[in-house]
Amino acid sequence: MNHNPQAWGRPRDDVYGAYNSQYLPQHHGGPSAHPTTHTQSPIVTGTSVIAIKYSTGVVIAADNLASYGSLARFTDVKRLKPFNRKAVVGFGGDVSDMQYLDRLLSSLDVQENYSHNNDDPEDTKALMSAKNLHTYLAKVMYKRRSDFNPLWNSLLICGLDEKNKPFLATADLLGTTYSAPTLATGFGAHLAQPLLRKAVPDEEASQKLDKETAVEVVRECMKVLFYRDARSMNEYSIAVVDEKGVELKEKEKLENQSWAFADQIRGYGTQTV
Amino acid sequence: MFRNNYDNDSVTFSPQGRIFQVEYAQEAVKQGSVVVGIVSKTHAVLAALKRNAEELSSYQKKIIPIDTHFGIALAGLASDARVLSNFMKQQSLASRLTYDRPIFLSEITSRIGDRAQTNTQQYGKRPYGVGLLIAGVDAKGPHLFEFQPSGVTQEMIACGIGARSQMARTYLERNLDEFEGSSREELIKHALCALKDSLSQDKELTIDNTSLGVGGIDENFKMYEGQDIAGWLETAFESKAEGEEGGEGMEVDS
Amino acid sequence: MTSIGTGYDLSNSVFSPDGRNFQVEYAVKAVENGGTAIGIRCKDGVVLALEKLVSSKLLKKDANKRIATVDRHVGVVHSGLLPDGRHFVSRSRDEASSWRSTYKAPIPVSSLANRMGAYVQAYTLYSSVRPFGITAIVGGYDAETEVDVDGAVGSGPKSGSGGKSKGVKEGGPYLYMIEPSGLYWGYYGAATGKGRQSAKSELEKLKLDPKDGDCISLEEGVKEAARIIYVAHEDSKDKDFELEMTWISAVSGPTKGRHEEVPKELREEAERLAKKSLEGEDEDEEGKMEE
Repeated sequence: MNHNPQAWGRPRDDVYGAYNSQYLPQHHGGPSAHPTTHTQSPIVTGTSVIAIKYSTGVVIAADNLASYGSLARFTDVKRLKPFNRKAVVGFGGDVSDMQYLDRLLSSLDVQENYSHNNDDPEDTKALMSAKNLHTYLAKVMYKRRSDFNPLWNSLLICGLDEKNKPFLATADLLGTTYSAPTLATGFGAHLAQPLLRKAVPDEEASQKLDKETAVEVVRECMKVLFYRDARSMNEYSIAVVDEKGVELKEKEKLENQSWAFADQIRGYGTQTV
Repeated sequence: MFRNNYDNDSVTFSPQGRIFQVEYAQEAVKQGSVVVGIVSKTHAVLAALKRNAEELSSYQKKIIPIDTHFGIALAGLASDARVLSNFMKQQSLASRLTYDRPIFLSEITSRIGDRAQTNTQQYGKRPYGVGLLIAGVDAKGPHLFEFQPSGVTQEMIACGIGARSQMARTYLERNLDEFEGSSREELIKHALCALKDSLSQDKELTIDNTSLGVGGIDENFKMYEGQDIAGWLETAFESKAEGEEGGEGMEVDS
Repeated sequence: MTSIGTGYDLSNSVFSPDGRNFQVEYAVKAVENGGTAIGIRCKDGVVLALEKLVSSKLLKKDANKRIATVDRHVGVVHSGLLPDGRHFVSRSRDEASSWRSTYKAPIPVSSLANRMGAYVQAYTLYSSVRPFGITAIVGGYDAETEVDVDGAVGSGPKSGSGGKSKGVKEGGPYLYMIEPSGLYWGYYGAATGKGRQSAKSELEKLKLDPKDGDCISLEEGVKEAARIIYVAHEDSKDKDFELEMTWISAVSGPTKGRHEEVPKELREEAERLAKKSLEGEDEDEEGKMEE
């Protein structure tokens, strides 16, 4: 007798031959044509997001372009998503993954509002803060990278924490997180971050920075990014989050551009000397 | 053996639309020793009377701290309370882990409420035989919730459940207006007084049979037992003697 | 009642010889004792109102909210066994959320009512469960303006494939009431709970049927809802109660298409008018007596 309980009640191999599992899917013993695969690279992408903390809030910006490789495919893509009056998320990287995260945040927002009354000051105090949101998104990103199925994004989460102090932190496709008074993702990490740091070298400096200067620094950085980042465009979104709420502008144009430096560039392109 | 045909299980309505099994479960709460809870603008306090099986045995556990910001007091089946409190601890930790945020008391209360409701609508399950007071502080301030076996949950200013708790509730109703503005110490005294009012003639509050749980704004929920509450037990009823209830207060000394 | 003692009323899902399910009828009894709940479908929105009987002085005032938000644009009020109501709400939220994850758009109120009707009905089918001891009123506003798919970026094509068809009007305010049997109807004005009879007769006096011309506005609806709850409370006058009210307007209206609590000032104004109109009635009656 066959003592293996799994074999009981099945056709006997020695009488009927081994079961032909040819037509079955792989996880039921079918032929293994390919291993399971996940995203290996992003498809439609957004470039840098930059942000800076100032005395009472945060300024964040990202341009409105979604590129398909080097093709400027979509030019009206909003990459800054306000979550509530205390938090904004900026998305760099894959746009479809951004849309997934946006829906995730929207369902989180619906849940948060099951028992929320705008009339009640206690409820307003207890609003989900940017810090809470960052913790959540960091967990989502880390879970997905641990499943070897990452969401191909770099996120900046900014706004106010539970004590209404300015908050700014990042989470990326690897599940890496960190916080700083100025942050920039993608190309901006190389080009804009040094400029932002010049304005705000440390936490102390950010506490002294006023809103107007912060906005000015960010606008300047967006311009520099447009000069040198080939995946950027001249229309962008900018948001300011402070105790008054979120002030989001989604159709800003770069002003006072100067391309005088362009013909000085040597070393790549078509020149031979 | 049954009182009527409609009380065999929790999936049968009586012709009046009542569910007897759930009502019987509420009776189990009344078998447990009394617990009291009160909130002020700044604090939430739980007070409980503990029973011991015999002279030499230990006393029950009546107050269970769940997270740093809140705890529960129970009346009824302690083992059911343990199931619920373990669940509450898990949920509280989950909130801290995923959002880095202490769970709202309204949220945790409604989660156990929903769990309890399931037990009243499916055959083969029984309602929980325990009532809980959930007290502490979250981002919306201090709170006190009452949980019943039926799955009913209510936010209260003050509440007492368990054996002879009607007397405690009478005290609470009489002093209702004072609670909101009470200090930490006053609130603890009120809780002990309410607890004392529900004692039977031959009993009194001692450091062995009394438990306290206190939470406040910027103050973690902490349980006080034994020698730690001796001071409160000494002073709680004295000050009352000088107050409006002079006559009743005198009895304390006898 | 012929049901008692026959044995046909001891288990859910069992028909009596004359084709009734007594357990469902008993569940309805549980509803009939609950505080009055009403819903009014107005021209530009829906109002939900509830008479919340105060069972103890120790309850925190204005805290224990009972009208629930299911999705941004949908609210539910119920009368009967409170925990059953929360079960209903929790399932409604799951339905609304799973609709969003499938269709990337808010659930139409009619679809939610349909799904919840089916869910409640399922609890009349088996002896292993009991029916819901609640009647729920579901109110919501399906957006008339075009809304983007959830998570949309950019605007999409203006015409052609994926473009928009012109002149199609859809959406608006909707109101449904779901009973313990799972039965549901759409309503212009719905009432359930203890005071439903007097509430219904008051609702019938309102202009709510679009066939009769312009319906009452949302603001009027709020005031009428408060008054009707006060009228319905007359039957159980000895008990204290709190009035709870929520509303949902169009995207262009005061709640921007969302289900929200009626602002305190407006609610208090509505309550003041409600009390005044009741006092007025009393005076009238007294006047008649004197005559």
